[in-house]
Amino acid sequence: MGLFGQRRKTAPARQTDEDLFDEELQRRLEVLALVARKIYRGRQRAERRTRKTGAGIEFADHREYAPGDDFRYLDLNVYQRTGRLLIRLFEEEEDLSVYVIVDTSRSMEMGSPAKLDYAKRIAAALSYVALANLDRVSVLGFSDQMKSRLAPTRGKNRIFKVFEFLRPLEADGHTDLRTALRTFAAQNKRRGVAILISDLYDPQGFEDGINQLRYAKFDPYVLHVIDPNDARPPLHGDVRLVDHETGETREVTVTPRILEKFAKAHAEYLHRIQEFCGTKQVTYHALPTDVPFDEAILGILRSGGLLA
Amino acid sequence: MIFTGLTFTQVLTVLGAVGAGVVVLYLLKLRRRRIEVPFVKLWEEILAEKQTTRLFSQLKRWLSLLIALLIVAALAFALGDPRSEGATREGRSLVVLVDASASMQATDLPDGQSRFDGARDALRELIAGMGPADRMLVAQLDASATPLSPLTGDPRVLEDAVEALEPLDVAANPRAGLRLALDVLRDQPEAEVILLSDGILDQDRFDTAAFADRLAASAIAFSWEKLGEAESNVGIGAFSVRRYPLDKSQSEVLVELYNPTDEERSVELELLGDGESVDVQRLTVHGGERLRRFFRNVSGVDQALEARLRPADGKPDHLPADDRAWARLPQRRRARVVVYSAGNLYLQAALLLDEYLEVEEASPADYPLAGDYDVAIFDSWVPPSPPSTPALYLYPRPASDGAWTPLTVQGEMDAPYFDRIERRHPLMQWTALGDVNVATALEVDLEPGDRAVAGDTRGPLIVVGDRQDQPFVAFTFDVRQSDLPLRVAWPLLLLNTIDLFVQERDGFVSSYETGQTWYVPVAGGAREATIVDPEGHEREVPVVEGRAVYAGQRAGMYTLRVGDTEDTFAANLGPGAESIIDPPDTLTLAGAEAGEPSEGEPGVRREIWIYLVLLALGIVAVEWFTYHRRLTV
Repeated sequence: MGLFGQRRKTAPARQTDEDLFDEELQRRLEVLALVARKIYRGRQRAERRTRKTGAGIEFADHREYAPGDDFRYLDLNVYQRTGRLLIRLFEEEEDLSVYVIVDTSRSMEMGSPAKLDYAKRIAAALSYVALANLDRVSVLGFSDQMKSRLAPTRGKNRIFKVFEFLRPLEADGHTDLRTALRTFAAQNKRRGVAILISDLYDPQGFEDGINQLRYAKFDPYVLHVIDPNDARPPLHGDVRLVDHETGETREVTVTPRILEKFAKAHAEYLHRIQEFCGTKQVTYHALPTDVPFDEAILGILRSGGLLA
Repeated sequence: MIFTGLTFTQVLTVLGAVGAGVVVLYLLKLRRRRIEVPFVKLWEEILAEKQTTRLFSQLKRWLSLLIALLIVAALAFALGDPRSEGATREGRSLVVLVDASASMQATDLPDGQSRFDGARDALRELIAGMGPADRMLVAQLDASATPLSPLTGDPRVLEDAVEALEPLDVAANPRAGLRLALDVLRDQPEAEVILLSDGILDQDRFDTAAFADRLAASAIAFSWEKLGEAESNVGIGAFSVRRYPLDKSQSEVLVELYNPTDEERSVELELLGDGESVDVQRLTVHGGERLRRFFRNVSGVDQALEARLRPADGKPDHLPADDRAWARLPQRRRARVVVYSAGNLYLQAALLLDEYLEVEEASPADYPLAGDYDVAIFDSWVPPSPPSTPALYLYPRPASDGAWTPLTVQGEMDAPYFDRIERRHPLMQWTALGDVNVATALEVDLEPGDRAVAGDTRGPLIVVGDRQDQPFVAFTFDVRQSDLPLRVAWPLLLLNTIDLFVQERDGFVSSYETGQTWYVPVAGGAREATIVDPEGHEREVPVVEGRAVYAGQRAGMYTLRVGDTEDTFAANLGPGAESIIDPPDTLTLAGAEAGEPSEGEPGVRREIWIYLVLLALGIVAVEWFTYHRRLTV
């Protein structure tokens, strides 16, 4: 109700491609690689070795127990001596394959900065760290199906290939994690780390998609790109909400109470994803787009498990 | 309910057209804004819950439309200017006469409030008590009746009229008030004249009996609200001053005190000359007495005199307006007189009596002397042509046949007597000529405009007139052949003649009476003059026949300005009718005894449209507030 309706612009801001992989980004990637190297050296790990719990024979290292870890790998001896819960890590004697899977559905073009741009930078950064670590890196884009793929490559100087692959990726299509990731698993027989970078806005549910990676024996990592405005959209009054991907509409009269409820529902949705990943031993990282991407990468690296 | 603006049909037409527009706009408004969101599924939980409040939401929408239509309806009906049936009924037509006479300045109301202030308060109450259809005209009643507002129901206009009222130093003129009221209220419904007064009206001068038939024939009610009740007052009833004719440096002052009450009062009377205290006297005035006191040989005063009265017995004096009086002394001016005479000791001796005369003597052979003279005296000799100055001719016998003379001489008459004397003429002031003996006098013919102010049945002895636009006075007898020089009247006649010529005494009055039309002498041939009243208000007044015409209503010293010259004159209250401040118990005007003022039926304003517009504005304001506070979205 109200005679004094006001219209507010909510169009997503779109960052240009030219900005994405400039020299400043490359300089920051160098710094990231150096920092990552220190992290790995401190743990005395060799290059080109996978570090998986339970997948190898040779003991490699410990790390702190985190909720969701398989407690079969708890080092009970250490626990008896020190009272600390540590997980034993084993090495596999093979090159590590790193798959960076970027969600390019239409919902990823929303937000400020656009979630897709943010995801591209994250993907580039992780690829660079992995390439610098002499891992085999493959980058893929998907929406309702796998759309494009950068063949596995190795070596730090191949990062420009990664840039060239990521640069033309456009947001298009709706999200279908299950179909797309099942296709991915079928197409990539060499197992390895599968890093899923997505906003996880899948009307069919995110669980099936992640499970496809688990079932295919990939080591899945979920990097959840979150636009902070999604939780509290600047809406008021009578509006018709249109799904940016599906075109599905809902009419709603937005009031402060409704906005509160929506924020709560959004928070519950995030919590559900996090809880699912935890119980399925899938490493999960929430990446709000208002956090600089290099800070986000360092956070991911410091938490351990990924790439080293 | 009736519509005095648009008709009911027109109102419905406007309401229908604008209401339809509002509905259309509302339907357009219901088209929701299209907002893209990344994941609409998240909203579904909320929307599912929202279904339970759908009814309330619908209700809110309809309520919003109804409110919009209500605003339109309020404005549409406001255009119709609706009024209740009662509001259109004819109300009272009131003419309120507010007495602004001097007695209304008596301060006998509670808290020292004057009767006039009490009248103002009473008038405000009458305005506040007016019904929706009542109309009122406010008029000030003083020496005349002045309407201060139209016949209106607008309280703001009437309040302005209340503020415009001002008390004056005059007696109230009930005849003027009644005439105004009857004229205004002719053929008006529920007509009523309300007099706010102490009831002290000058009915002796302004008799209202002539309106008795008219008032009786009309249905106009006459009512009176009495103000005041005290009677304690002593006032100055008269105040006058004159210079001594033979010693103009000194004056004689007359003061009359009036005690209209029954009890004896002791007062202190102070006389001020040119602002300085000259004399103070303590006097006792008996009840009902008019006590006259003379201040003799008052010297050192050049222009203005003022009398002030103060109670000396500790009792109150409720009317300050009659405790002061002012007077103006005639201006002294040294007159230049030329005397053409072969020798006349009586004439020379008489002219020596006034030290303010500058006398030049010459023989007829020297005529005319060079110089500017105020008066020329021709003693037993007539110049060959009319002089260019005012002239006094003593025994104007022509020098030869056919020579010019101011009066045509037909012969002589023996032993004439002053049988006929115009005693009110200024020339005759303070003179006694009844037993004067004259041996012989010229028998003359008067010309048109000539006036014999004294004479025998056979012919005039003293003539006043004009020749060639110059005034003259002619004594048709030789004073040396009479016993007039042996009498006091002789120098007085000479000095009165000179005063008449130099216009010292012409029309001079020491003070004017307020409420009257004044004719103030103006020197020169001015057509306009400016009068500044004691309050400092200036007013341009016309000059008619050498006199400024003005109806003054304030006591005090006035300034008359003509070109660059200024003069002053004084004005005082009348002879004392206003000093009687004891209000009567009943009041009868034009044969009708005054009743109590009627009471109105105060109600809401007749203009309902104002409330309708306010309602619309109020709804919009609430809507605006709740919308921006997000209370209704």
